[in-house]
Amino acid sequence: MGLLDYYKQFEGMTEEEVKVELREEAAERRRKALARVETLDLSQTTWPELPNPRIVNAITYVARRGLYRYPHLQGSTLRNELAARHGLNDPARLILGNGAAELLSAATRALIEPGQQLLTYWPSYPLYPIMARRAHGRAQRVAGGVDELLEAAREEHARVIALASPNDPTGELLPTDQLRQLLEGLPDNVAVLLDESLVEFSDAQPHNSSLELLEDHPRLLVFRSFSKAWGLAGLRIGYAIGGPRSGDLLAELEPDLGVSEVSQAGALEALRSCSELIECRTRELCAERLRLIAALRERRYEVSDSQANFLWVAHPKLAGAELAARLTQAGVLVASGDALGEPRHVRIALHRASTSERLLGALDKIL
Amino acid sequence: MRSDPSETGGLFVGRRPGTAPTHFRTPPERGSSVRQRVDGSLANILVAAITVLSLLCWGPIPVACLWIGSQIDYLSGSVSIGILSAFVALFALLFGALSLMRRLDNAWILVRRAAGHDQRTGILGRVFAITAAVCALIVLFWFVVIHGPGNSLVSSGGET
Repeated sequence: MGLLDYYKQFEGMTEEEVKVELREEAAERRRKALARVETLDLSQTTWPELPNPRIVNAITYVARRGLYRYPHLQGSTLRNELAARHGLNDPARLILGNGAAELLSAATRALIEPGQQLLTYWPSYPLYPIMARRAHGRAQRVAGGVDELLEAAREEHARVIALASPNDPTGELLPTDQLRQLLEGLPDNVAVLLDESLVEFSDAQPHNSSLELLEDHPRLLVFRSFSKAWGLAGLRIGYAIGGPRSGDLLAELEPDLGVSEVSQAGALEALRSCSELIECRTRELCAERLRLIAALRERRYEVSDSQANFLWVAHPKLAGAELAARLTQAGVLVASGDALGEPRHVRIALHRASTSERLLGALDKIL
Repeated sequence: MRSDPSETGGLFVGRRPGTAPTHFRTPPERGSSVRQRVDGSLANILVAAITVLSLLCWGPIPVACLWIGSQIDYLSGSVSIGILSAFVALFALLFGALSLMRRLDNAWILVRRAAGHDQRTGILGRVFAITAAVCALIVLFWFVVIHGPGNSLVSSGGET
């Protein structure tokens, strides 16, 4: 390096040159950011949108007011609101829990004694067999319909039937008349735990139709959640509803120290100010579900008649894991059926029309 | 890690004046410590040169221009041409000197950076102001004490 070149290298850029360079750098960053396409996650059954600001405000208010103290054990305000919403004359028939899953586990522990059986359709929610195991019981997976379930329930050790309606992962709804048939045919010692965490997404029958059966069937417990359609999975809050004579059992399921006041506040505000929003959301989802089912069937995919916010899909030739892997490479995540009890299928969550378009585009691209 | 105290993480728009980092086209390769010391001395020599040039602007150059004007006045016999040529010479020399000082100042910035200093601005303004002040004091002393009204008063008092 020459003498002048040595000193010239300490020459700074002019302000204009710096500005031009910074502008070019910003444009490059912007170009890269716009070119990046985020992976579309359709593997979860929770609602993907952020919560309504009113819910966040209610949670913040409660948190600032009194996190130092214990919550109200029974959550009377929320229970009354839910009881009114479901037309229950006695709020004591409804208890709150830290998510429907925890209440289902508690019910299984309360009902099953070591060696007894929990019956469930399969594939279904993977938690049910785990619940039975934790209660030192056994899970009996039943294929078929109500008749097969009734036959299995007549076995000596059968104690609990756990059903999801709509079922996760198939999305199929258990019609009320089939549920009634099941309840009427069951032996006296068998209880039915009906998991309706996804019922808000269904449009085949009124959402409260199963609750009407509670009056005549004390062995039925219905479980609902704020984690799915309400989009409040992080709050971990759900509830169980029993019949008029189910008070003792419900008391056993109730969390010892109640449900977090923050969760109660979020759920209460959701009920009070977001009900219309949820209805609108589920209405749009139902329309999108029909459209996507038709589009997939056009492409020769096997699709179950889902009443949930996901579809249970199988390709005629590809295994579920292979289809999920190819979709992952195309930037769309779906849940492989391997972990859900049926390796041929994948579970694909529904969001909105734009995500369905992207999914269909990815499916067309990979095959 | 944040090392620039004026980097506010976007909380405020813009920077405090003079705190922007110097942007180089390519990161400079600094010389050895000996070379940096030599560059420090070279920077001082450049300041001395700027100072001499600046001092020239406040006395010698105007005097030289007056001498040139007087010579042309004598040779041409025209006072106007003499005055005009004195002004032309004055402007030419002053601007020439300023231009040279500016170049020396830029060179000084580079040499200071080479010597390891975070030099962002030149020294010309300060040198020019100091030399102007010094020259103004000298002229004032000359005018008031050596050749100014005081001297006239003393001499006029002697005549009366």
